[in-house]
Amino acid sequence: MDEAVKNVLDWNWGAMAPELVILGAATLMTILDLLLPAGRDRRPLAWLGLAGILVAAFLVWRNVQAEPTHILYDMYRVDDFANAFKLVFLAGAAFALLLAVADVGPGGEASSGEKAIRDRGEYFYLLLTGLLGAMMLASAADLIVLFVGLEVLALSSYILVALRRQYLPAVEGAFKYVVNGGIASAITLYGMSFLYGLTGSTNLLAVGEGLRDAYVSGNAYLVYVAFFFLVVGVAFKIAAAPFHMWAPDVYQGAPTPVTAFLAVVSKAAGFALLLRLLLTAFLGLANPLDGSPLLFSELNVYVGAVAAASMIIGNTVALRQTNVKRMMAYSSIAHAGYLLVPFASLTTMVFSQMMFYLVAYLFMTMGAFAVIQLVARDRGSEDLRAFAGLFRRSPLLALAMTLFLLSLAGLPLTAGFIGKFYLFLSAVGREMYALAAIMVLTSVVSFVYYFAVIRQMFLRTGEEGDPGVRVPPTVGTVIALSAAATVLLGLLPDPALDLLAHTFNFSEMFLPLAE
Amino acid sequence: MIEYINNYVLVSIFVLLGLLLPVAALTLGRFLRPHRPTPEKGKPYESGVEPTGSSWVRYNVRYYLFALLFVIFDVETVFLYPWAVAYNQLGLFALVEVLIFIALLLIGLVYAWKKKVLTWT
Repeated sequence: MDEAVKNVLDWNWGAMAPELVILGAATLMTILDLLLPAGRDRRPLAWLGLAGILVAAFLVWRNVQAEPTHILYDMYRVDDFANAFKLVFLAGAAFALLLAVADVGPGGEASSGEKAIRDRGEYFYLLLTGLLGAMMLASAADLIVLFVGLEVLALSSYILVALRRQYLPAVEGAFKYVVNGGIASAITLYGMSFLYGLTGSTNLLAVGEGLRDAYVSGNAYLVYVAFFFLVVGVAFKIAAAPFHMWAPDVYQGAPTPVTAFLAVVSKAAGFALLLRLLLTAFLGLANPLDGSPLLFSELNVYVGAVAAASMIIGNTVALRQTNVKRMMAYSSIAHAGYLLVPFASLTTMVFSQMMFYLVAYLFMTMGAFAVIQLVARDRGSEDLRAFAGLFRRSPLLALAMTLFLLSLAGLPLTAGFIGKFYLFLSAVGREMYALAAIMVLTSVVSFVYYFAVIRQMFLRTGEEGDPGVRVPPTVGTVIALSAAATVLLGLLPDPALDLLAHTFNFSEMFLPLAE
Repeated sequence: MIEYINNYVLVSIFVLLGLLLPVAALTLGRFLRPHRPTPEKGKPYESGVEPTGSSWVRYNVRYYLFALLFVIFDVETVFLYPWAVAYNQLGLFALVEVLIFIALLLIGLVYAWKKKVLTWT
């Protein structure tokens, strides 16, 4: 057999097993959806998808235990950085899938009427293909694979947002998302072209090596140009200010499970892209005059500015929102700002800080959207007033929502507080007091709009004699798991932090695996 | 650095040449050719069809879908051709890979078929 062919088969393709399982599940769901008669219930497909996600999660966990490995000369890396992000994606997609089942089930918003979703098979398997793109993104260490993963995620998201075809805000949101996403992709790609032009390689580790030479040989300003283009492209993806304008319309127009998917999985994928791309390519870069590292000493000011702008704009504009999903969109813009803080301050703890906050954010956001979905379908409105008197009608639901909102606001004894506390410490540790101050002040501002929802639930009375909100078991599972995790991570964060510090070896990311 | 900028000089020379050639050709033609206009010659060329009516007509979206499907299978050939040429060197692994590739595209075709993209009404 030929030498080159033998090499292709020699790579450890088994490391890609989680992705292959997801791809297989999505393909199988597509085929079954095509074969099933038109009127048949499509919800069993979702259970198939969920089974695929569970198997994939098990396989990822097995990869965490194993040594880091790579496929095709560091083109695809299965290191603990990728595995940690993949677990977050899988959990987020599983929750979104559970919410989607209830969305098209009896009494669900998407089951009939103007907001009906007719393409229910697509609803389920596009969540899986989006997940596949995110997982590829986390593992890719090559500009081309990175971009393919990014686009698989983005294209799936565009269609998911547009699923409620008869509902005008959905069409508007989807169109804005396609246009903005296209611009973001183009800008990212343009930035990548500079990296390739300066270094002659698409492999991120080789790019990191090559950029040093490019910087020294007088192309310093092109290195800056590449950095800024990439930051702008990623900022679109994570909905950070000033590139956040698509988020409110998309979040409002998309079905609530898809909104939750975008807020958690898509955003986490953006942060995986940010860390993998920018850290691998730019971290080794030093100023030749005084030897100070470039990313630490010069460029983080600009990332800090984006973070500050996101926190300020997100939290202040959220004050004026009356639609709960729009409010959550601005809240998620603010959270993108919080999550950028450790990247701006860039300590060695950046991975565990960001990962802990992402996990906390996963649970509190998923839980909040689950409650929003139930209340919106019960009242037929996403207005803030739909929450009036929820405590009287469904006390447990109101208490769970309160917990999620307190966690999002970052009050003590919740996961959000611990997460935000670590982000705050990272800024203070590197003496970025302005950023730390903005973080605390905008968090205080955010109490106002989170408490507006809580006030509606507890202090306003709804109509008399209203029956309680019916909680389907799937959504109930999501709420219960999210609430338990939010409390547990808030009261006993140590086991989770230990896990992040010891089991996940994030520095594997910088280790060249190809010999 | 200088080398890098030199490459842009080359690009700009190409752009200038690209602009110059058609302009020069058309100007030269204008001076060399006889000038005898008739109404038929003044008409825009539209595949021999008499152009009438407004250009703001509704286009059937199905044209677009057919074009999309065509592009997919067009690209498929682009991928299959080099594989077929190097078939003897690539062996079984590439065959399996190509079969997976074609199977995924076929699912796409069946999808379009089931969603009634291929029927024209």
